[in-house]
Amino acid sequence: RRRARARSGTRPCGLRELEVRVSELGLGYASEETVLFRYCAGACEAAARFYDQGLRRLRQRRRVRREKVRAQPCCRPTAYEDEVSFLDTHSRYHTVHELSARECACV
Amino acid sequence: MILANAFCLFFFLDETLRSLASPSSLQGPELHGWRPPVDCVRANELCAAESNCSSRYRTLRQCLAGRDRNTMLANKECQAALEVLQESPLYDCRCKRGMKKELQCLQIYWSIHLGLTEGEEFYEASPYEPVTSRLSDIFRLASIFSGTGADPAVSAKSNHCLDAAKACNLNENCKKLRSSYISICNREISPTERCNRRKCHKALRQFFDRVPSEYTYRMLFCSCQDQACAERRRQTILPSCSYEDKEKPNCLDLRSVCRTDHLCRSRLADFHANCHASYQTLTGCPADNYQACLGSYAGMIGFDMTPNYVDSSPTGIVVSPWCSCRGSGNMEEECEKFLRDFTENPCLRNAIQAFGNGTEVNLSPKNPSFQATQAPRVEKTPSLPDDLSDSTNLGTSIITTCTSVEEQGLKANSSKELSMCFTELTTNIIPGSNKVIRPSSGSCRARPPAALTAVSFLMLKLAL
Repeated sequence: RRRARARSGTRPCGLRELEVRVSELGLGYASEETVLFRYCAGACEAAARFYDQGLRRLRQRRRVRREKVRAQPCCRPTAYEDEVSFLDTHSRYHTVHELSARECACV
Repeated sequence: MILANAFCLFFFLDETLRSLASPSSLQGPELHGWRPPVDCVRANELCAAESNCSSRYRTLRQCLAGRDRNTMLANKECQAALEVLQESPLYDCRCKRGMKKELQCLQIYWSIHLGLTEGEEFYEASPYEPVTSRLSDIFRLASIFSGTGADPAVSAKSNHCLDAAKACNLNENCKKLRSSYISICNREISPTERCNRRKCHKALRQFFDRVPSEYTYRMLFCSCQDQACAERRRQTILPSCSYEDKEKPNCLDLRSVCRTDHLCRSRLADFHANCHASYQTLTGCPADNYQACLGSYAGMIGFDMTPNYVDSSPTGIVVSPWCSCRGSGNMEEECEKFLRDFTENPCLRNAIQAFGNGTEVNLSPKNPSFQATQAPRVEKTPSLPDDLSDSTNLGTSIITTCTSVEEQGLKANSSKELSMCFTELTTNIIPGSNKVIRPSSGSCRARPPAALTAVSFLMLKLAL
């Protein structure tokens, strides 16, 4: 697992894209159409703040233990694409909102 | 005719030499008396700068406002105004599809032309410039298509309409405008109101105006082998909202509604100008220009006269506006004639099929048999190259091809330029290919009586 994390650290957080069939997304739509799926991936080590360092220490000292906390920044979309529409195999159109990322950041 | 042809070639050579002399210039072809039409917004400005013209124009507009043609012409002053304006730049001005202030331009156009026509003519002159600038699209389209499905077995199985949707989804602009019209046209307002038709039409117009035709035509005119594909093609414009209606009006009534709207009227006139079945050309289209016909067909989508595929038959393509000829009374014949320009139009059908089959044509250059089904009367026409008769204006296509080469900035040296043009010419008449498929346009309207004469002429000129 550590090695996997180390490998992801080689590229900083940013947009990646994949051409996928709508049906591959597992959203319940039976459509043959291909859409561009953009997602956020990459390392966020450089974006660590004193907040993360402090929180980590407090967790080690068991000052924070009941709640689920995340003591490191995470690569997530900060903006999404409006909508994407497609025709399914029953000749019905569907529009899905915020399917794909538009901007990424370590937050 | 020979003289005209020679003129045409001279003109082209002249242009080439001129462009060599001053590399940045592609001179306006004022020589030989042909000038590009001024757009009506500009013509209006020219008229406004001149006191006589502007006062007459004001008079004419007052004459037309709220009065029918006959009462208008009964008025001496109105008639005089019309006569004067026929000499002004306003008279032969034109508009461009998707130009800035298109509606204003068309309003100016019709303000003059409504006074000139009988009002209820079957075909009206198109207010749009003849299509020349979109020629470059064909080259781009050809290059796109030549890259798809190299294996004929694979391409027979694949769904071209699905490929077209994929290509659109992968392009930012196309995806955005497609999703926009789909979500608008697909939004149910209430159980009785399926959608907001007006907004749907507007979104469709934006899609067809702002997305390059290499994406939009591919979706609209994709070729199909099975019903799933053809159903997808039929669904392109979301017909349940944009096309179908509770009632099917009479086609002539629908035409009257369309003619009350300047944009709809203009697009319909443009369709008639570019798609009317011509029995003088091999393709069945005016000047063998498929591109112009497809463009003016797509130009009607999003108006009262929106056409679409009537069913999901894969190969038996029938398109029509949402109307019928029931209740035509004594106008039955005229109604049928109007409807047949959509449903049984060899030019339109050939253009749609040629576009869909474009893949196959480009894929196997050794066997460029062209699958367009011709109207029986056209079929009888002797095929190229035995008889490159006056039915093809090959000369025109040479020139436009060369001009477009120039426009792309490939102004290397004269011999290179000429050889490029010459190559285009020879590819047009591959033995075995029995149709000239390169749509041509009218930068030079002369038609060669025999294109072979043109070839030898060009060779002679090259030798010199």
